[in-house]
Order: sequence, then C-alpha cells, then structure tokens
Amino acid sequence: MGCSTGNQAVRRFRYRCFASAALVIVFAFVAAASFRLLHPHGVVAYLVAILPALPILWALVAVGQYLREEVDEFQRALHVEYLLWGIGGTLGVTTVWGYLEDFVQVRRLDLVYIYPIFWLFVALAMPVVRRRYR
Amino acid sequence: MKNRLKVLRAERDWSQAELAERLEVSRQSVNAIETGKFDPSLPLAFKVARLFGLRIEEVFLEDSDQ
Repeated sequence: MGCSTGNQAVRRFRYRCFASAALVIVFAFVAAASFRLLHPHGVVAYLVAILPALPILWALVAVGQYLREEVDEFQRALHVEYLLWGIGGTLGVTTVWGYLEDFVQVRRLDLVYIYPIFWLFVALAMPVVRRRYR
Repeated sequence: MKNRLKVLRAERDWSQAELAERLEVSRQSVNAIETGKFDPSLPLAFKVARLFGLRIEEVFLEDSDQ
C-alpha cells in the first residue's frame, strides 16, 4: 500500500511486501520447474502446487501486521478504507464476471487473477480516498 | 466534530508539521483533524488537549455547540 509517512510500520510493511513478491516469483519458478521435470504425485504435488501461494498468504498477514503496528490512526483508517475498496471492487468485478461466464460464455477468469485484481482496486482507491482528505 | 486546532496552533506559531511531530502522527493526520474531516480517537484527542494544556472540550467541540 502506498504510504506517505516513513514510519517503522511502513518500512516493515514494504520490506515484507517486497520479500513476499520476490518469493512468489522464486516459488512459481520452482513449482513450474518441479512439475515439468520431476512430475510430482499425490500430496507432494499438492504441496508444490500451493508453494507460490504461500508468500501471497504471508503478504496478507503482513497487511494485518501493518494495521496493528501503524501508530498513526489516521493512516490506519486510510489503509482500512483502501482495503475495503479493494474488497468491494474485487467482489463486484468477480460477481459480474461470474454471471457473464454463466450466461454469455465470456472467457473463464482464472482464480489466480483475483489477488492482483484486489491490489489493482486498492491502488485505484488510494488517490480517490486521499483527495477526500486533502 | 469541530475543533480549535488551527487557532491553537497559530497562537503558538506551530506549523502542521511541527504539531504532527509533537503528537507523533503524520502531517496529513493533523490536516485531516484540523479540517474536521477525521475525528481523532479519544486517546489522541486527550493527547492533543494535553499538549495545548487545555481540557478536551476546550479543543474539540460538538457540532451542537456551534
């Protein structure tokens, strides 16, 4: 999340997010390579498949940690608002898309896109919400 | 909720940034509170009042008090 203050909570959040993003790339590569070269089966296949999702789950935890660690209550309120926009936007888009898939056979939305869609709405909400408090 | 933050700050010749530093919040927070767009929590409101050496109701005013 974009933060204008440079406090410790923000710095920790940024570090966790960058680390998480880097791990997603590494784990996605490892998972893809494992399936291509090692052809895992059974439980191992499931574990390897969810490997890239683990840093994403960590990033979600990092959001919670940031909200808990942020001492500036106004910044915290702003970020909660961004997240609500992200949740609302994602629910709205995926619901509409779901009905489009059912009735007019639009391209199927892969579930892995939901996470980036959420952050896209969070990013779009930032200037809108900030302008309100300017 | 209305408040006298801007007047109190001006009396002490403090910028928003200076007040923010004293309150340990961001300048945007001070601006949002000052313009009445964000209501501070009770602990922060007490902190503001204490900083100015006033009672909380001398800094923050209910809308019906206007």
